Amino acid sequence: MGAPATEIATRARDAAVRARLQSIVGAERVSLPGEGARVDGVAPRFVVRPRTVDEVRAVLRACSEQNLAIVPTGRGRHLDIGSAPERCDVLLRLEHLASVIDHQPGDMTVTAAAGCTLAALQRVLGRHRQWLPIDPPAPSATTVGGLIAANLSGPLRGSQGTVRDLLIGLEVVAADGTLVRGGGRVVKNVAGFDLPKLHVGALGSLGVVVSATFKVRPQPAAEKALVVPCATLEDGGRIALALRDAADPLWLELVGTVPFASERSRAGDEANDRSRPLTALAAMLSAGEPVAVVAGAGGLAVEVSDAIARFAHAASVRGARGIVVDDAAGLRAALSARWILPGGAVIRISTLPTAVGAAAAAVREAAQAEGTSVTLGAHVASGLLRAAVASEAAVPELVQRLRSRAVELGGHLVVERARAEVKGCLVGATGVWGDPGPGLALMRGVKSALDPSRILSPGRLPGGI
Amino acid sequence: MPSSAALASRLRSIVGADGVVDRPEALLVYECDGYTLERSAPEIVVLPRTPGQVADVVRLLAGAGVAFVPRGAGTGLAGGTLPVAAPVMVCTSRLTAIEQIDVANRRIVAQAGVVNLRITRAVEREGLLYAPDPSSQAACTIGGNVAENSGGPHTLKYGVTANHVLGVELVLPSGEAVVLGGIVEDLPGYDLVGLVVGSEGTLGIVTRATLRLVRAPEAYRTMLAVFDSVDAASEAVSAIVAAGIVPAALEMMDRLILQAVEAAFRAGLPTDAGAVLIVELDGPAAGLDSHEASVSAQCRRHGAREVRVARDDAERALLWRCRKRAFGAVGRLAPNYCTQDGVVPRTRLPDIVREIARVAETYRLRIGNVFHAGDGNIHPILLFDERDPDETRRVIEAGREILEACLALGGSLTGEHGIGVEKIGQMPLAFSPDDLRAMTSLRAVFDPDGRANPHKIFPDAKVCVETRAPRRQAAM
Repeated sequence: MGAPATEIATRARDAAVRARLQSIVGAERVSLPGEGARVDGVAPRFVVRPRTVDEVRAVLRACSEQNLAIVPTGRGRHLDIGSAPERCDVLLRLEHLASVIDHQPGDMTVTAAAGCTLAALQRVLGRHRQWLPIDPPAPSATTVGGLIAANLSGPLRGSQGTVRDLLIGLEVVAADGTLVRGGGRVVKNVAGFDLPKLHVGALGSLGVVVSATFKVRPQPAAEKALVVPCATLEDGGRIALALRDAADPLWLELVGTVPFASERSRAGDEANDRSRPLTALAAMLSAGEPVAVVAGAGGLAVEVSDAIARFAHAASVRGARGIVVDDAAGLRAALSARWILPGGAVIRISTLPTAVGAAAAAVREAAQAEGTSVTLGAHVASGLLRAAVASEAAVPELVQRLRSRAVELGGHLVVERARAEVKGCLVGATGVWGDPGPGLALMRGVKSALDPSRILSPGRLPGGI
Repeated sequence: MPSSAALASRLRSIVGADGVVDRPEALLVYECDGYTLERSAPEIVVLPRTPGQVADVVRLLAGAGVAFVPRGAGTGLAGGTLPVAAPVMVCTSRLTAIEQIDVANRRIVAQAGVVNLRITRAVEREGLLYAPDPSSQAACTIGGNVAENSGGPHTLKYGVTANHVLGVELVLPSGEAVVLGGIVEDLPGYDLVGLVVGSEGTLGIVTRATLRLVRAPEAYRTMLAVFDSVDAASEAVSAIVAAGIVPAALEMMDRLILQAVEAAFRAGLPTDAGAVLIVELDGPAAGLDSHEASVSAQCRRHGAREVRVARDDAERALLWRCRKRAFGAVGRLAPNYCTQDGVVPRTRLPDIVREIARVAETYRLRIGNVFHAGDGNIHPILLFDERDPDETRRVIEAGREILEACLALGGSLTGEHGIGVEKIGQMPLAFSPDDLRAMTSLRAVFDPDGRANPHKIFPDAKVCVETRAPRRQAAM
């Protein structure tokens, strides 16, 4: 009778770990993982929700002593990014560290706790007509820590840069529970190494971000966009660059097919009320080859109308006609939101701006060969192309076909988001990330310098880091 | 370790006879950079001509267990290229090739020795420019800019070097060359480019970099606003920023600097003013009238007695010549000067200005102020005569006190010059032992033996003893 000895031992150990974690954060903040709490198929043993930096430190000390692996997250919205962790004992949810700690409008800087959502942060900044010009999908489910750890971005990156360009300071709890600061609260600072940048895109593998300071910007007084329907993706790529050269846009998207109605209705989060601008966009495009370039302008009203006129002129020179969209911010958000639709997988290709059109055409061709539909979109000025692949079964083959093609075009392909089952089917040793290049040995060194016992998000980065 | 002569001969076999300097009198040129309070000549200077030669040189040094100091043009102001227990200096100034210009993708690949201004000169016909523009841009090199994460007046709008570097080739202290980053964005893995930029040569030697170019502005509006006091000008700075305007540059010069600059350039600057702001707006012509009106209104509201606008390119160029050569012009006021570099949150500018005035009085020194005011990046210029040992000592102490005041106001020890040797002693004031340990453990990943620019940035017991008094006395 009774359970085998090993299971009894496991249970006893689990109970001890649970008691220790509960003693730190309180009984009600340690729970068993629910259905949605898996990290790429790996179920954590506990979900822990600390409320203070000191609690985070104590949790990490405890985990470090007992060699428990931690995957930090905000609200769990972006856990489908990266490769599966080797192990995960504690899913550390930071959503209760949610405050905007300090906004200095005159300094144009803001410090926020890791669990503060981007939407909440923008509301505080908006009172002074400022913003953090980063517009990833699902801003109300995206936290400051997640923004940094997953290096999220949206259309604005083309003119405003990405997290690395705006992050000026960071507080991180290291694997052993010590608090490490990098950067500061001033916009210009070269004292010591730039530690904050190392944590951008690190998926929590070098430390748990507990607060961050960003430089912020004045919100544009006005925004408008010009939609230019194009005959082909290649045309779209060329026209987009012509628009960029006519007047540097606030954002510049190449859009190839918008989601179908069925996909929209399945969409969760903010995607539902955000789909209206996409419906309007779809109506502007031809059903046969629904391709468009959308150029956004921002600033004073006079600057916006000047830029829109220049975009329109550049398009007309190439025989294309533009349609002005007044709710440009709404369209921008809707375009950004496309990349977290449930189901399917999102492939991301980094390439040169001039190669975006050709890369998009190559993706579509490969998708047709695999018999799947794809939603295509690109931040043209950043050379970043995404394809949401409708059929999960087609993903491994598609990745294999396109990865070498991306490299030929001077770029790189990653599987940005997919279910664990899809990631598991990827062919070849390089998985979702592809070959991280000659820096891999140094990256491994960085990991072992800052997390020698490999307890922080182990295995989630390229090369098994 | 081989003898100096033996090492020099092996280095000659890599770079040729004219690529190695080891005569003592010729080495004097290399005994300091723009930070002149301390001097120490290397035993050998080696000047490779290609990235491959740099790797060969560093591999040879690795085999011999010899430490080295990388150097570009030697314009740094914190002693980052001062040899401290590093016998060999590796200069990248002969790596002068611009390897690739990609106008459509707004990228350029330049070797480390390319002078900053040459990048912009190479692409200005195409309507592009390289945004970071340190005051020394006519001399400083891209390799040095990458090492120091250099800024310049236009960083307020355009960002610093780190925002414009996509990839680098780094020769590790082992001699292995590794390409980090690349020509595209969002490559997977850690942002090692971000770590290397600003690491002051302690992780290896950058031999080439892929840089972003930006569109040259269609139009400029360069304004000079004249104030009775530095305080009033500082408040105008905050008001301009709070009004939602992001000027391309927002610079301040105080009376002492104005007088020196006017004597040098006769630009018609008001020498009786307490301070002037140079405000530059750029971008599409469409919005400039409106932005100019806002800036002008904010300046007048905060007591500007006059706001002038440069009428043409010549006037604009003259204003910038005054600003960028302000440091040199100060040479007229005293035999020596020391330029400090600190940062405060920009709303605390009035506080730091008062603090600097107090320090000047306490230490009986003349201190002029040139600020990247929009960034809160201050450059107090401390005047002295190095033949007066007591005055020299007071300059060093006053500089420290100003920096500590910056920290107390929530700022930083350095905005763009780096820590070098100059500020090493103050690192523990800015960072905890845990912060510093994280940084030094990263350094060991790249440089386990500590041979790349040793005794820089991070304080260690050995160097503290060395830099306190003896070498400084030797410099006097």
